[in-house]
Amino acid sequence: MRRSMRRGVAAAATGLVTLALAACAQGDSSGGGGGGGSAAATCTNTIQEPDATRVTMWAWYPAVEQMVDTFNSRHDDVQICWTNAGQGADEYGKFSTALEAGTGAPDVIQLESEILPTYTILDGLADLAPYGAGELEEQFPPGAWSDVSNGGSVHAIPVDGGPVGMLYRADIFDEHGVEPPTTWDEFAQAAQDLRDAGYDGYITNYATNGNAFNYALFAQAGWAPFDYDSSRPDEIGIDVDTPEARHVLSYWEDLVDRGLVSTDDASTADYNTSLVDGTYAVYIAAAWGPGYLEGLSDADSGAEWKAAPLPQWDPDDPVQVNQGGSALAVTSQATDEEAAATVAMELFDDEATWKVGVEEAGLFPLWNLALDADWFTDRRYPFFGGQQVNRDVFLDAAAQYPGFTFSPFQVYAYDRQTMALYDMVEGPATAEDALATLQDSLVRYAEQQGFTIR
Amino acid sequence: MTTATTTQTSSRGADRRASRRAGRRAGGQHGPRRIGSHLFLLLAAVYFIVPLWWLVVGSTKTNSGLFVGSGGALWFNDEFALWDNVKELFTYQGGIYWTWMRNSFVYALAGGVGSTVLAVLAGYALAKYRFRGRNLYFSLLLGSVMVPLTALTIPTFVLLSQLGMINTMWAVVLPSLLSPIGVYLVRVYAVDAIPDEMLDAGRVDGAGELRLFSRVALPLLRPAFVTVLLLTTVATWNNFFLPLAVLRDPQLLPVTVGLNQWQGLSNAGAGGEQVWNLITTGALVSILPLIVAFLGLQKYWQGGLSLGSIK
Amino acid sequence: MTSADRPTDRRPAGPGEQRGPSLLDTKRQWWGWLFLAPFTVVFVLFLLVPLAYAFWLSLHTKGIATGGESIFTGFANYARVFTDTDFLSGMARVGKFVLVMVPIQIGLAVTIALVLDTLATRLSRASRLLVFVPYAIPAVIGALMWGFLYSPRFGPATDVFGLVGLDAPDFLSRDLIFGSLVNIVTWQWVGYYMIIVYAALRAIDPTVYEAARLDGAGNWAIALRIKVPMIASSMVMIVVFALIGTLQFFTEPTVLRSVAQGAIPTTYTPNMYAYSMAFSYSQFNYASTIAFALGILVFIGSYLFLYATRKQSGLK
Repeated sequence: MRRSMRRGVAAAATGLVTLALAACAQGDSSGGGGGGGSAAATCTNTIQEPDATRVTMWAWYPAVEQMVDTFNSRHDDVQICWTNAGQGADEYGKFSTALEAGTGAPDVIQLESEILPTYTILDGLADLAPYGAGELEEQFPPGAWSDVSNGGSVHAIPVDGGPVGMLYRADIFDEHGVEPPTTWDEFAQAAQDLRDAGYDGYITNYATNGNAFNYALFAQAGWAPFDYDSSRPDEIGIDVDTPEARHVLSYWEDLVDRGLVSTDDASTADYNTSLVDGTYAVYIAAAWGPGYLEGLSDADSGAEWKAAPLPQWDPDDPVQVNQGGSALAVTSQATDEEAAATVAMELFDDEATWKVGVEEAGLFPLWNLALDADWFTDRRYPFFGGQQVNRDVFLDAAAQYPGFTFSPFQVYAYDRQTMALYDMVEGPATAEDALATLQDSLVRYAEQQGFTIR
Repeated sequence: MTTATTTQTSSRGADRRASRRAGRRAGGQHGPRRIGSHLFLLLAAVYFIVPLWWLVVGSTKTNSGLFVGSGGALWFNDEFALWDNVKELFTYQGGIYWTWMRNSFVYALAGGVGSTVLAVLAGYALAKYRFRGRNLYFSLLLGSVMVPLTALTIPTFVLLSQLGMINTMWAVVLPSLLSPIGVYLVRVYAVDAIPDEMLDAGRVDGAGELRLFSRVALPLLRPAFVTVLLLTTVATWNNFFLPLAVLRDPQLLPVTVGLNQWQGLSNAGAGGEQVWNLITTGALVSILPLIVAFLGLQKYWQGGLSLGSIK
Repeated sequence: MTSADRPTDRRPAGPGEQRGPSLLDTKRQWWGWLFLAPFTVVFVLFLLVPLAYAFWLSLHTKGIATGGESIFTGFANYARVFTDTDFLSGMARVGKFVLVMVPIQIGLAVTIALVLDTLATRLSRASRLLVFVPYAIPAVIGALMWGFLYSPRFGPATDVFGLVGLDAPDFLSRDLIFGSLVNIVTWQWVGYYMIIVYAALRAIDPTVYEAARLDGAGNWAIALRIKVPMIASSMVMIVVFALIGTLQFFTEPTVLRSVAQGAIPTTYTPNMYAYSMAFSYSQFNYASTIAFALGILVFIGSYLFLYATRKQSGLK
């Protein structure tokens, strides 16, 4: 009896200690904690060299496990321990909370370049320049490099890109006697012509939640919404509501109002199926897009896909744009920054890996050695009936992409854009209203965050 | 939406039930309404079961069969892929699904048993010991039932991260130990179920307080124990907000968050990552244990959940 | 609310108390606290401390452009949240959910329980189980299943409406999403509420009905005039829990959002807003403010309701 009582007291005392700990922690409000990012991580892949330095990595590339295996067999001093922490926003949410918690981030992380400023301002990423990343500049197209670097610092190493082209169902256009468009005027006309000829689908879909996609469409008209430089992190210029953006958005609003373009949400099972079953005649897509469709391509056996360059506003002055793609960054919580930098710089520094990336994962490389290789430029894609889509469309698009400046609160900016665009297609709001709302909400948010608005 | 409760307790329930049964038999219901009533019940049953039926049917389909099957949404396709799907659950991502299931069991069991033990101890103390501050404590407890538990998740997350417990099993288990409603139920039940005379008689015989608790109080509190155990286990099993916030390692996720993550990947559309067949099959498998438990423990929850839900 | 202590307070002094010397009582006080200690630790650590911490966080501001420095800003965040149209419209929306969803849930639960109470057939026993089964299904899985059922491709709506030559409505559109969510929650919780009400009904002494029947009361009259008033306290309690749950609406819209990002923005409910502020935008201070403001409103709401129904619930 007395023993159990003593045990009870001991338990209570332990409780009090924990309590005191919590109280102390509460006083130390600023977060912090630091390091130890790779603690207790479990790897999805098999580690080949158990004694080597282990670098944890989050990535969602299809077929990434093969690429990781290739890297691990090529390196006996560094081994990648990979997990898939979700795609895009899912992964970013986890990374953000890990930064807030001060622990739990991986050493290396796959990020889209659009999200880089969001994390550089939080000091979430290590500068790779000290590890010689600056010397890699020549290996990548200039637009891609400008997206990941700033002055002398390198925030990430480009991996794959998303040059945008127009994928279309040649069989549907043929059947209804309509020519594939090359300009946006022709595109609107084709939309009407297809409908008049009895096609019961939509020429394409305008997804209000197609964040980066809608940015790309705006950017094609010369839209540059953010003026931001990570070396002066407390200043930002926000110019969302511009004549170019109004022009583009009114164009789509008109097609939507006429019922020629659908407004389904992107990234749902329904949408993915509509892409392949003939509901949409055109899929305006980044180069990695078709890779994501192949798993579903049995939905419509009569489908005949072709790729063409993105329609232009001014055919005499064509502008190419990029949607998505990704880069590898080293986080500020990396236990061994140098080993992590090795992974970021060398995982895709290999032709065999890129063959897997291209053939299995459908990625579009941003590595010049792969871009210039015959096996890539001449590759015939079964999905496109053997068309050499890289040579025909995407290589030009990638080479001409000039880069783009994103905001340091891009997740918020995207969420607000989805809300504003949804109001436009579903409610009484016009394109002008949508952009004005977006401009207001972003400026207000930036002010609340302590930015000086330029 | 993880509210869990029953209402007031009465130990009079049992004797009531006996007399009522007799009364009911004597005055049983007649009349034409029975057909209407049965029809109404049938409709209700169909409504509540259709989603489950869809799930059963869906888990027998292949990934593309879910979209373009011969059977439509509510009937089987020609091909029967249930076993293949279950097999794939063992191989996909190294069989991580079963790790999730195990985690869910661990969380539900640890959270359920732990919070029940704490609740029984505390409820017993509040009911049967008079000490300074008791009334204040009980008022505080009642008030806390109304604090939105989800609203606690954000500060809990920040606190746990400062204690370095984020992304560990503790981050889910420890906060799950909190069940004010459980304490409330046990306390209300214990007031009537444990006669003070019995405790005092024990004390006169020289029994210690611990012995009184384990030998006298605990057996009498069994119905409350089972009820609270059921409620807290279900609450932990269903918990979504907390693990979503505090866990990042896929190996630690409970099955709810894991399946939601698969859904995110499948929606994102990566060709090889579309695993709708595994999501439906995984969902079906994951709800079986709880359904089986509820069917098996019918006696407990039908009497138990009510715990004399009338004052 | 202290009236819950009544049973003990009212209890006539038992023989033990008359005999019990005061010395033993002080010692026993300690035992009371000892039994209470483990729960108290958890209660303090995971309720009081987080609450206090949330409050502390809400009094500070940390902008992403200000180098991560936390500044004391007093009640400025509260001034902001109570003029934040996103928060207010989210509150208005959950208010609307309360007005629509709670009556439907409670009404359905009580109706089913009343019908079950008059029957003792095999069908009634089976349907009692079937109605209850959704409670055993995690809300995430429930919402996931309904997400499939609402989908024009996965779900049966296209086929069902096609039978009568109609186009299926888009359950995930802006106009219908509200009803779609009401349906999910109703499906999930009615069974649980029904069991509580049913148990309360079974505990009523049936001789009461006999008396009424002798006075010529029919089934409906008995149900409405006798049964419902007698289970009022149970009903008040389940309304309170439905109320608290609905004001904190999170899981179902969050899961459904993955297939309806336009119709369910991140600010759809205050809880979702707080969640995205914290976990998508790293705004933990403002997120805590939202959570705390929501907590205050939930507390006031449920307190007012309990106060208004103090007669029915017995919590006088």
